[in-house]
Amino acid sequence: MQQEAREAQELLQTLARTRKNLRIYPENNPVCAKTVADAFKRLQEYLHSNGELHLKIRQNELLLGDAPVYRSTDRDDNLAMLFFKDGIRELTIREAITEEEFRDFMKILAQDLDREDVEDDIVTLMWERDFEHIRYVVDENFLLEEDDYQDRAVKQATEEGTQEEDLKKAYQDALQMEARPPQGGIVPITEQDLNALVKEIERDSQDKFPRLSGILVDLLFDALPQEYPDVMNIFQNALEYAIASGNFASAVHMLRVLHGFYQDEATPPEMRKSLRGLFAFASSPPLAKMAGTLLDEGKAGAELFSEYAGYLGKEAIGSFITVLGELRTIEARKTLIEALARLGQEDLEALAQGLRDQRWYVVRNIIYIFRRIGDRRAVGYLMKTVHHPDVRVRMEALRALGELRAQEAVALLGQALEDPEAAVRSTAARALGRIGSPEAKALVFAKVTAKEFLNLQFSEKKEFFEVLAGYNDEETYEFLLRTIKKRALLKRAKVQELKACAAYALGLMKRKEALAVLHKLRESKNRLLSEYAYAAIRRIEYGT
Amino acid sequence: MAPEKDGQIGVAAKDVVNQLAVIIRTAQIHNPTNVAVLSSIEKFVSMLNRLIWEAGSVELELVGDYFYLNEDRVRFSVEYLLNFDFLQREFKGRSLGRVHFLCGLKPEDMQHFVAAFLAAPHRPDPFESLSHALEPVKCIEVGGLRRIAEEAEHDIRRTVKRTYFNAVSFSKGVMKKLRAGEKVNIRRAKRIVESMVDLLLQQEDLLLGMTAIKNYDDYTFHHSVNVSILSIALGQRLGLSKRALMELGMVALFHDIGKTEIPPEVLNKPSNFTDEEWRIVRRHPFWGVKAVFKMKGVDATTIRAAIVAYEHHIHHDKTGYPRVRRLSDLDLFSRIVSIADQYDGMTSSRVYARVPMSPDRALSLMMKRTGSQLDPLLMKFFINMVGFYPVGSLVVLDSKELAVVCGTNPAHPLRPKVLIITDPRGNKLQEPRMADLTLKNPQGEYSLSIVKSLDITRYRVNLAEYLL
Repeated sequence: MQQEAREAQELLQTLARTRKNLRIYPENNPVCAKTVADAFKRLQEYLHSNGELHLKIRQNELLLGDAPVYRSTDRDDNLAMLFFKDGIRELTIREAITEEEFRDFMKILAQDLDREDVEDDIVTLMWERDFEHIRYVVDENFLLEEDDYQDRAVKQATEEGTQEEDLKKAYQDALQMEARPPQGGIVPITEQDLNALVKEIERDSQDKFPRLSGILVDLLFDALPQEYPDVMNIFQNALEYAIASGNFASAVHMLRVLHGFYQDEATPPEMRKSLRGLFAFASSPPLAKMAGTLLDEGKAGAELFSEYAGYLGKEAIGSFITVLGELRTIEARKTLIEALARLGQEDLEALAQGLRDQRWYVVRNIIYIFRRIGDRRAVGYLMKTVHHPDVRVRMEALRALGELRAQEAVALLGQALEDPEAAVRSTAARALGRIGSPEAKALVFAKVTAKEFLNLQFSEKKEFFEVLAGYNDEETYEFLLRTIKKRALLKRAKVQELKACAAYALGLMKRKEALAVLHKLRESKNRLLSEYAYAAIRRIEYGT
Repeated sequence: MAPEKDGQIGVAAKDVVNQLAVIIRTAQIHNPTNVAVLSSIEKFVSMLNRLIWEAGSVELELVGDYFYLNEDRVRFSVEYLLNFDFLQREFKGRSLGRVHFLCGLKPEDMQHFVAAFLAAPHRPDPFESLSHALEPVKCIEVGGLRRIAEEAEHDIRRTVKRTYFNAVSFSKGVMKKLRAGEKVNIRRAKRIVESMVDLLLQQEDLLLGMTAIKNYDDYTFHHSVNVSILSIALGQRLGLSKRALMELGMVALFHDIGKTEIPPEVLNKPSNFTDEEWRIVRRHPFWGVKAVFKMKGVDATTIRAAIVAYEHHIHHDKTGYPRVRRLSDLDLFSRIVSIADQYDGMTSSRVYARVPMSPDRALSLMMKRTGSQLDPLLMKFFINMVGFYPVGSLVVLDSKELAVVCGTNPAHPLRPKVLIITDPRGNKLQEPRMADLTLKNPQGEYSLSIVKSLDITRYRVNLAEYLL
């Protein structure tokens, strides 16, 4: 017995450690898998030598026979208390226990059952798992709601006993009456019945949410206006549950039906108001976050998510912006951006809140969404992002301002032409080009004609000349010809780069009158000039 | 035993029981030497020898309503229900509780077993005859049906009573708490229902007997618990899993939870309801959904409970109340609860319907409602569950003694368990006594039989006195 008790003691320490690990690490962590496997091996060794493990459970100790084999007074980490507090008084693990059973048993022990929202205790979890080789004895006395209810009820029910004369009467009647066949009976259950039952049970395993959804709609139409808030509260709980449990299709179906009522002019105004509240709830941060997670995990398809977002109001914008920064997949981000582009049209201000986000990629995505929306009222918000510390954000902002033809941002764009980053300068130039106003054009010309322009990289210079080509007017044409004909004594290579850019721009402008100059340039011994002139000629003559 | 190491034998266990049922069924139709019987015997023997090879021997035991193979309960799905039910009845009909198959089992041994098994019911003592006939067969041993020892039965009775009254007390507490806007302890509800499921699986009669007692003050709370018990019992007949039975028991317990919104003066009104009062009462399914969602966090059980709270008064043909916009079939649990609800309601003395019906009259009326109000398929199982003589029926024996039915007998539906309450002259017995109607005299005739049944509601027989 001493040896057995020692082995049990060691085994229980192992189980306590395993439980601790399972509580710390996620289930798929290799540490967990190994600890559980090792513990199972140890349990098997114990069971092999001792047949079974039978423990009596006290509040703070576990006994093997009468020998304490585990003791703890810790409140949180106490195996004995874990069983004791829910009424388990004896526990037996039998030799044939499988690893799967053991793993499930340990998972149950590791659960945090002290949370108020958890509706199961350890006995329920073990009962539901219905272990084949783990048995336990439960003391149900502590479940009693009222100590003396049974005594009172029994006393009341038996107070007035059956009277002698009543039985006599029954007896007399019985003597006089004809023998009466019993009215109930046994009905044969046929194979057909059984097949129908199998089908019933199969059908019963289908998702119950659509049925609930239908009932709630009935409930809504049966409700009095003062009951709408209560009914909406149920809808909210149901919707939250559906999304939280990954049943996104059902959640969307529910919203689809309700949205139909919301849009129906025959729907009473009070009901519409309540429905509006429900859509606002559907747009709230916790729900939006859960939906976003489903989208990210591929549990909510893009089409379904877009439909879901379609039922939401502008209240969802803030929530979706938060989610946007947390998504991991590109597909999910694309879908959410589409949703935000639709919702953002209703409230640019709410969307602009996202421009204050600390994460550069969120800000860039929001600017992109503004580009998608294409509403000029966004210019004010966008102008604030032109000086963003991240280069990618600055570029996106400049692109957006250009696309919105933001004349009021011309000065800012002009400043951006001096940005330390070449890509930003080019983007600013393109934006100015798109705006196309005389002020914008003047800034681009000023930049191109400035002395420092010569020193820029060829690719950047080319970008600027591309912008100039976009003007395609006489002033620009003359400027380009002048540039081609320019003679240089100093920085000859740089000047030739400039000439190549001018040739490139003339090609883009498709000006036939420039062909003579370009053919001449093609004869140049400078390979860069010759190639660019040839390309421009081809573009003008053949459009390629 | 250790046969379930890899889960292979877990599958085989239900196949063993099923195949044995197939053999007996086939042998009842054909001669035991028929080729169909022989081939099913061969299959059985080969299956069993594999198990014997792994475990040394195989013991099939019937305890309560369950088969155990080498001490592990045999779990089965609904496809096997008919054969499991059949074999259980056949075992019980012969008072056979245990068959032990030993090493070296041959098809000839099984042929011998089948012949003895089929002959046994025609003998005065079926089990003795079976046991005697199998003496020459060395590889098969049989044991009688284990009777629960008096002390153990006393313990179970105590547990049943405690569980039942605890459930009623809980149900009362739920109503009070909901009215006061307090939180309901769902963990406790689950534990209570789990206990009810366990008791129904072990000793169905005792807990069903508790539902037959109707003279309590707190009708509403007893009704909720009774409906839960009857629903679980019916669910068990349908072959629902233990987990599903728990969910069914939970939702049935809360099916009338919407009644908390009915003003007490209406709910407890001793006379007939006015139209307006009926209108209020008929709102309780609507309030039920609200109450369920208020009571607990949302999960699959909440959804089911809300569905049942809403649908339990909607009839099979979609009449009843509330009127529904959808025409889809009612939920399975709603249809089960609806049957249990009607049966308990009819056999109870309610505030607005003082005179209860006798169980057999209620059943008879329900049979008339089959197809219109009640699901015909489920009703078949319910009728079989309640039997010819439902628990709580008052019967007259051929000895001229009056008796109260206190338990059904699936193997002999016309021979339920009874408690004799008068002597042959109709005098009340101070110490009522249990009688086994399956016992036979040395001439092979039943010692006692039921000759008539009486409408118990006409005689103020207090069932609590006999069944508690």
